[in-house]
Amino acid sequence: MAVKFFGQFLVEQNIVTSEALLNAINLQDKNNLKLGEMAVSMGLITLADIQKAHNVQMSKDMRLGDLLVEMGFLTLAQVNDIITRQKNTHLYIGEALVQVGALSDDELRKHLDAFKADQAQYVSNGIELPISSANGKIWEMTADLTYKMITRVLDLQFRPGKCALATVIPSNFMLAAMDLSGDVEARYLISVSEGLQKSIAKAILNETSVDQEPAEILEDTVMEFVNVVCGNVAAKASQMGVIMNINPPVTLHPPANGLTIPDGHTALSFPIHIVDGDTMEMILLIKE
Amino acid sequence: MKKVLVVDDSLSVARQLERIISESGDFTCVGHAKNGAEAIKLNHTENPEIICMDMNMPGMDGLTALRTLAVMDKEVKVVMVTSLGGVGDKFTEALKLGAKNVISKPFEVDNVLRILREL
Repeated sequence: MAVKFFGQFLVEQNIVTSEALLNAINLQDKNNLKLGEMAVSMGLITLADIQKAHNVQMSKDMRLGDLLVEMGFLTLAQVNDIITRQKNTHLYIGEALVQVGALSDDELRKHLDAFKADQAQYVSNGIELPISSANGKIWEMTADLTYKMITRVLDLQFRPGKCALATVIPSNFMLAAMDLSGDVEARYLISVSEGLQKSIAKAILNETSVDQEPAEILEDTVMEFVNVVCGNVAAKASQMGVIMNINPPVTLHPPANGLTIPDGHTALSFPIHIVDGDTMEMILLIKE
Repeated sequence: MKKVLVVDDSLSVARQLERIISESGDFTCVGHAKNGAEAIKLNHTENPEIICMDMNMPGMDGLTALRTLAVMDKEVKVVMVTSLGGVGDKFTEALKLGAKNVISKPFEVDNVLRILREL
């Protein structure tokens, strides 16, 4: 029911043991050389040059390959050759599991098909953003996965509205927020009406009525929904090669005139029209 | 019945897990900690056989607590229950630190019980 990677799927289904998976990951670590390691193994550069570049990286936000070209250690053509070699020699986790004897080739094919079928529900349908952003694909995936989780976790019928730039975060009964860091820097927010908060609480707690529940529990369920969405977004982002860390969720109670957008941030609003008239909105505050 | 400690900053998740554990007939829930530091204290006082622990918590997070528990208590079996289960690096780190399994949120009741029974 969640975004997974292949190794996790196999352990969870009891197809391979966690020890076998760790052996396969260790084999991958030895085989799949990082860019600097590959450059050294190809005799294009020395370890000392790599260390110099790593030292510069501490104060310069650049990828190692770009930096090595800028510092004159490698040409762009050489970096492209290294990347091609990395791709050609990459050992995938399934292949590694076969090599350590945890799976046969036939079993790998069979379980890979089952894994793809399990994860097909999380393949992105594509969403249009009103801005061009370096991480546009990540934000489109974030919105798409939010919609999918509203269906699968909350079991709510809804219609996604058109994404638009926002100049203020409108007031609502409550907001739950989570800060995202790593290769991206943003705040993910879900804004809900009082009625929708109860719908979320019913789904998360698996109860038919939440009228007697304290406000603390009701708010907690919205935070947990945000936690589930953002954790799965981080998993999907890692499959896309983007590191995304999440922080514990918080709640906000905006004043009647809403919340202003902090300087240096772009706010994207994704209205979510719930069938029974309750209101919900997803907002991404992106620092770029 | 095996004693289980639940560790999650979310009150609603803790309540769900406590209910699943208590209604299983095989396990009894001996407490709820809201972060890693509380987990270490309750592990000492309640002596559970299994810990179900979140990763992303304020204060001491789940992986830090797992690292400490691996040194302090070689017997207790830890299963991570987390929305970050699908992040390959987090999953691998948890296994390397000694977690017996990693369950992704949203979780399915049958899956949680199957994994706990296999420990």
